Parts: sequence; structure tokens; C-alpha cells
Amino acid sequence: MSHYGPPHLQRRTFLKLGVASAVVLAVAGGAVALMQPGLQNGKLTEGSRLIFSRAGQTILAGTLPAEAGPNQIAINSLLDRIDTFLSGTPDHVQAELSMLLGLLGTVAGRRGVVGLSSGWADASVADITEAFQAMRSSSVSLRVQAYQGLHDIVCASYFSGQESWAVLGYPGPKTL
Amino acid sequence: MSSLTDPIKEGLARGWKVLGGAHAALPTSITCDVAIIGSGAGAGITAELLTKAGLKVVIIEEGQLKSSSDFKQREPEAYASLYQEAAGRQTKDKGITILQGRSVGGTTTVNWTSSFRTPAATLKFWQEQFGLTDYNPDALAPFFQQAEQRLNIAPWQTPPNENNELLRRGAAKLGIKAEVIPRNVKGCYNLGSCGMGCPTNAKQSMLVTTIPFALDGGATLLVETRAEKFEISNGRIQSLSCIAVKPNAAPVKTAGPPTQIIAKHYVLAGGSINSPALLMRSGAPDPHKRLGTRTFLHPVAITTAIMANNVSAWDGAPQSIYSDHFLNTQAIDGPIGFKLEVAPLHPVFFGANLPGFGEKQAQLFRQYPHANVMLALMRDGFHDQALGGKVELRGNGSPLLDYPLTDYLMDGARRSMLAMAEIQFEAGAKTVYPGHEMGTGTTNWADTKAAINALPMKPLLTKIGSAHVMGGCGLSADDKRGVTRPDGVHWQLENLSIHDGSIFPTSIGANPQLSIYGNVNRLAQGLAKRLTGKEVALA
Repeated sequence: MSHYGPPHLQRRTFLKLGVASAVVLAVAGGAVALMQPGLQNGKLTEGSRLIFSRAGQTILAGTLPAEAGPNQIAINSLLDRIDTFLSGTPDHVQAELSMLLGLLGTVAGRRGVVGLSSGWADASVADITEAFQAMRSSSVSLRVQAYQGLHDIVCASYFSGQESWAVLGYPGPKTL
Repeated sequence: MSSLTDPIKEGLARGWKVLGGAHAALPTSITCDVAIIGSGAGAGITAELLTKAGLKVVIIEEGQLKSSSDFKQREPEAYASLYQEAAGRQTKDKGITILQGRSVGGTTTVNWTSSFRTPAATLKFWQEQFGLTDYNPDALAPFFQQAEQRLNIAPWQTPPNENNELLRRGAAKLGIKAEVIPRNVKGCYNLGSCGMGCPTNAKQSMLVTTIPFALDGGATLLVETRAEKFEISNGRIQSLSCIAVKPNAAPVKTAGPPTQIIAKHYVLAGGSINSPALLMRSGAPDPHKRLGTRTFLHPVAITTAIMANNVSAWDGAPQSIYSDHFLNTQAIDGPIGFKLEVAPLHPVFFGANLPGFGEKQAQLFRQYPHANVMLALMRDGFHDQALGGKVELRGNGSPLLDYPLTDYLMDGARRSMLAMAEIQFEAGAKTVYPGHEMGTGTTNWADTKAAINALPMKPLLTKIGSAHVMGGCGLSADDKRGVTRPDGVHWQLENLSIHDGSIFPTSIGANPQLSIYGNVNRLAQGLAKRLTGKEVALA
């Protein structure tokens, strides 16, 4: 489909998209050189699985099982469902998410966009909660978009699973 | 094991001509009388009428052919296979998430069945602002009536579920009129699963009505096939180039050369956003820069209530009660009016649309059986601060809608949240949460009113959705104000008609499916007459 323009334009479009502030532009610009794509062959990379695992534990705190073992099983299942979800999304969504996750996986991106000083593996749920709360109401569009992207993918994927129905009290589809 | 029949599987067994995807390889070229792009509301009505007139019709659908035996009432499968961009289509700044269908039947396969004629006030505006003198209630009435008869549209006779009833109850306490919604169903099981494809074929969507009629009449259906580009010269479309696509819309790399479709006439009915995008990819003439502009969404603001009693908002006809009070009690070009309805709640929709996260939200999830989500559909297109969005193309040719959420619209979001919250409290809400990142639950009307009035109504912070896409190839009485002539033909391309919601010069101010059926019914009858000399009718 090269007659509509080269693929690298998609990347530039994303970076223009939410970059409402010179601060983030500087951060993101510096980080781009270091970043790895967040998706490979349409699936989450190890780095992206870590980001979604920590985002999932934060966003679904109080909903996921509290005990470590069942919690990890639920997170693994969530990550698999995110991969399934991604496989149904168009190329431009995958490209954009790959870019976002790549950015959040860099130190500069994590600090500048998420506002998280510790690494994803080391940050506590309380740290990430604080960072996400600031992202939600930020005046910088990219930060709100990034939060909402993570939130919506985590929640949509989690509640795609039948095991989430018990928390909700949803009886499931009626038998015909 | 269900004993329900699947009319699509039966039709395929009878020998319907369906190509593309796993059905059969696409040929390198197809010649026909009329090529119809899309298979939704406008395409379906057109396909039935043109087939009835004896024309050789080819229908081109980008999505998959799914039918009742595939519809398992499960959101993840439905969103991935039946919606544009896996139900995650968003405007350019991500301020609005758009639910739009993408399978055979288009949005009619997944809509919630609400069926309203185009409101008289909307038609009056079209007459005054776009010179569309033939677009008046009396002239259109017989065409709406035929569509209503063909698709079994009538006010819902079964008592509304509690999710809808509470809208009527709360509104009544405030002296606000709320009425029963007409639905396009026949023998409805009252499951509430319309948004995931009707598993019982009760919904009279294009998938089970007009498309089977056309296929039984000899039409050809191409699925998983994208209409990529028109070849245009001498003010005419010479051919249409189509490519095979995967379920996620990516081109099939191993596919052969594009399929060229050569038709005497082309009907574009891919829906708003997609229809203008095809014309843009094709470099269609647009001397007055109207193409893709004035694309409307009925931007939707929401409030979530936790009611004292059980609601079970997943159970029963999704929409059966509405109120037009806030459309009819003020000037159409004044502060934006809005239509009130409710949303059916299934786990993914509920989980992803509730603002907030963490422990506090976990408590809210556990109150899901008591939840009600009210919707305010804002009537865009009637004010100079509600001019809609503009379709653009990404580098790969896919469409992207740039829709600015102006202060005027955001004022409507605030006013509608206030109206909805008050109704919810009157109906017995314990707590109401505005659809806003900074909204917190409040437990009485006075506190809620103060809280909503204090919220910064900004894009992204305010959760805005859409399930109705209209405009982008607007009708007008002259070539300067629109893209499409009053008879449905493109102003600059004589062998192209546009028969979908993209022709509406404003939003409708009501769920648009019947507006598409009724208006396109008239246009397609006119087209059939011009092409064949025959008079045909839907019913």
C-alpha cells in the first residue's frame, strides 16, 4: 500500500498526536532513539508483558485475587487475552500501541509520560496508582491517552474472560 | 443444542454466490449492472430493490459473513469480528470511541434495534439550509411505511426491562415525557444480546432480510473484500479495484492482483467515514471541498447510577424507552439538544467504560447487577459550533476522523449529565458517577449537581462515545453545499449513487437506521426506475 505513503509516516503521526507539550516532546524525542517496538509479530514483547502485568495489577487491584499464586495466574491469563485482542485490531492500532509500549519501556518515556521514577518491575502498586492518577487528569493529552489506552485494554481484556463474571455477578449468556 | 435455523448457512447450501475469505477465491474481474459497496442499511435496501428490478448486482463487503449460529452472545468474539477496528475505532485525538459495524449486514447486524423516522425538525432544517425541498415528512412517509412493514418495525409491546423502565419512572417524576421505542424485530426472545449479533434471527437486520433476498435473486456477495479505489475518467467511474483483506482489515499478502469490478452504475454504501474515504483514495472530484466534512457522531455523554434495586442491565431488549424532552423543548440551533436512552451492560462494555481504576472501582464492579448507564445522544450539525468532523486518510489509506469536541458540545455534555443524574436519582439511584475521569460518586442530587458543575468538561477527561456515524457525503440542492444530489447521485460522477448515512447533511437527532432505510428506499426506487424503467417497492 506504498502509494498512500511510507510506513514511517505512521510513526510520525503518532508522535505528533498527543504531544501537546514541549516537555513531553523533548522526553519522547530523546527516548525514540533508544526504544524497541512494544509488539513483535503482533504480540506483546517481554517488556510489554511486564508493563501490562504491572498496569493490570494496578488497574484491577481489589478485583484480581489477592494471593500471589492465583494473582499471577490471572495476570498471565490477562496477558494472553491482550494478545488475542491485539490480533483482531487493524495494523494502525498495532503500530500505535507498539510505539506507545516502546516509549513506556524506556526510562525517559516511563518518567516523562507515566511519571514513574522506579522501573516497572520495582515500582509498587501504590507508586503506579499515584502515577496513573496524575496521568488521568493531566493537561498533556499524550499522558491521558496513554493511561486510557492501558486502562481500556486491561479492562476490556480482563472482562472478556469468563472467570471475571463471578466478581461482577454476571450469570452469562442465556441458554437457547 | 439449539434447534434454531441459520438462514445464511441454508442459503449457502442452496448455492448463493458468495466469494472471498474461505468461501471462494476472488476472480480478477467481474462485470455486472450495479456494484454496491457495503452490505449495511443503505446497501441492503438498495440490493433488494435493484435485484427486484432484474439487475445483476454485486455486493462488496469488507467484513466477514457471520450468522446466527456464530452469534454466541459473547462480547470478545463479537467485537473482534463484527465491529470496525475491533470496536475500538477512535477519533483522531482519541476523544470519542465509535461503535460501528463491520460484517455482512453492517451496523444493522449489531445495533440495538431502535428505529425512528427522521424527525420533522431535522428535515425542516435540511429544507431551509440545504434546499432539500423533497425531504419532508409527507413525501417520505410512504417510503418509511414500506421499510417499517418490510422490517417489522413497531413499538415494543413487551414491558421494558428495569434498565429502561427506570428512565421512564425517573422522567415521569420530573414531568418529563418518555416513550416506547419502535424496534425491528420479529419473534424477539428478549435476550438483550442484539449488540453481539442476534442468535435467534429475530432482529430484522439486513443480514437476514434484504441481503438474503438479493442473493436468492442471483446477486453476488464478495466478503472480506475491500473496495480500494475507483478508476475515474470523463466524469464517470470506469472500474472499482478491490482487494482481499484479513479479518483485522490488513491486506492478504498472498492474494493475487486486485479484482476489477466493471459496472454500469456504482452505489457507495460503506457508511460514513468509510464511504468518503473511498472517494478520497480515488481522487474523486471535490471542487467545493465538501467531501468528508460535516461527519457527525451524535456524541454521547453518560452517567452511571448504582440503583437501590436490581437492574440486570444485560437482560432484555437493550433499548425500549427514550425521551426527546431535551430535543423538543429548545430551539434546534440553540444550546445543543440531546436524546435520552439507556445502554445494555455486558461485562466488557461495563468494565471498559467505567472511569477510574483500582480498589474503589473494584467496589463498583461488584455492584454491576444494580448498575444503570444512561446515554445522552447530542444532536450535532445544527449550529456553527457543531460542524462535525473531517475524514482524513492515514498513510496506508485507512480513514481517520478528526472530530473537534468544541466548548459548545462540552456544554451539552454537562447539561445532559445533570439531566440524566437527576432522572437517575428520581428513579431510585443510591450513587451516580458522571462519565468523567475526575468524576466521583455522589449520593444525592444536590451534591451531584454541584460536582458535575465543577468538572472541567474537556475532551479525553470527559468520556464521550458514539454509535451513530452520519454525513461526510452530504445531500444538497446545489453542488456548492454538498457531495450528493437530492436523487442520491454524486454531484460530479454521473454513474455513482451514494446510499448510506453519509448523505445526511446533519446528524438525525435519533438512532439513524430507519432514516437510512426510508431515505435510501426512495433513492433506490428512483435509481431502479432510471436504470430499468421498472417500478419496484420494498413492501
